[in-house]
Amino acid sequence: MKGQYRVTIFNKRLRFEFDIRRNITVVRGDSATGKTTLIGMLSNYEQNGVASGITVNCAKKCVVLDSIRWQVNLQSISDSIVFIDEGEKFIGSDEFAAAVGASDNYFVLITRHNLPNLPYSVQEIYGIRISQKYAGFKQIYNEFYPLYEADKQEYGSDSAVMVIEDSKSGFEFFEAVYGKKYQCVSAQGKSNVYRLLLACSEKACIVVADGAAFGAEIERIYHLMEDGRKIYLFLPESFEWLLLKAHFSENNAVAKVLEAPENYIDSKAYISWERFFTDFLIKQTAGTYWQYSKQHINPVYLHEKNLPKMVNAIQNYGRKSEKEMQDS
Amino acid sequence: MLKVYMGGLENEIYNPDMYFNNQYEDKWITDELAKAMIADVDKSVVISSHVIDSPVLGAITPKELSGGVKTLMLLAFDTSGNIFNGSACGDNCAKWILKLAEDKDITITLHHGMRFGAGPFEIEILNNGKIVRNRHEWLENIYNFI
Repeated sequence: MKGQYRVTIFNKRLRFEFDIRRNITVVRGDSATGKTTLIGMLSNYEQNGVASGITVNCAKKCVVLDSIRWQVNLQSISDSIVFIDEGEKFIGSDEFAAAVGASDNYFVLITRHNLPNLPYSVQEIYGIRISQKYAGFKQIYNEFYPLYEADKQEYGSDSAVMVIEDSKSGFEFFEAVYGKKYQCVSAQGKSNVYRLLLACSEKACIVVADGAAFGAEIERIYHLMEDGRKIYLFLPESFEWLLLKAHFSENNAVAKVLEAPENYIDSKAYISWERFFTDFLIKQTAGTYWQYSKQHINPVYLHEKNLPKMVNAIQNYGRKSEKEMQDS
Repeated sequence: MLKVYMGGLENEIYNPDMYFNNQYEDKWITDELAKAMIADVDKSVVISSHVIDSPVLGAITPKELSGGVKTLMLLAFDTSGNIFNGSACGDNCAKWILKLAEDKDITITLHHGMRFGAGPFEIEILNNGKIVRNRHEWLENIYNFI
């Protein structure tokens, strides 16, 4: 499945409205914010249609999946948005993770589990809140809001440790560019980032990771930040996304993909956007002197003539464009 | 004292919401402690053992309360000895879990790093037998297991 879909669910008293644009969306947060109510309304509509008194508007079918024969039932669901409530234990299983990877559906998972076996984005973790947009209306309007916002941050002092998720080309790049300013350490994978942060508690840390697949780690890192740790997050979609943005966004075809990746990334072919951007960059540069390999950084990207574009893309990451400022 | 097992246990009640719907007693709802928890977490007022006034849903029965407050009531009143999944509770229930554990031993599982605040508190991590007393110690111990 590709694309972004607006989902609107309402009855006379309640209204939920949100957009889904990736294969995995996670909803969590405080108790009593309406998560189970949302699932209940969807379920009633699914069983009774308009006779339920509930209206569901979405270009794709919205389906609730529960634990009864979930594997069999999921096989019969295609090209739909699948909602799963927090009481369903299978959500954290390896079997479910494999089923998500093989599915052409989008999934909305209501859970406080970190789900380390699913590569979901830090940008697609939401809470539910009552919107002020329609304050005063009789119908209570609920919206999703991002729990972890990737705002522009200043990246600490010169003595900071830069913890880089990657161990290959991404690490080589950041070490070559920032190694004189920061102590660069490879985490050798996302699941080790937290352990490294715990170990260097005396120093400020800059975390460099692929945001498109870092969702399972973000909760515990935020928890450390709440404990007073100086941690700065740099979480672009992926290292390859940054390279595409810096060096190839003048190419119209690339620019279109970067502007709305959801319209180009098939969820069945790519369980996370990070994998898509790697493939896309490899294909884009194949046979050229920009040829990209995940194993080692091509020295062309580190050449003094080319480096400023990438440094610029890093420094501008998280800053809203003029158009985005106007839209917000 | 609060005793926490990080991760799943085979015999845990993973879905306390469902368990509550089939096991709660009318007298639980009108208990002053339950009224206070329902008011704080669900922002709702107990009218009687069968009716609760919710600002969002209108008049509801106890079965429509949040999964978090249902779990708190199980921790407070259920005498089965079952171990409930504390991750059915959001962080806005954490202070109530600590409060309930002031008067008796409470054992829960957690599948996420619940926020109990900066401390001081006293929680035994059953996975390694350590007792933690503030957020710093909590964070150093829990995420190895989930």
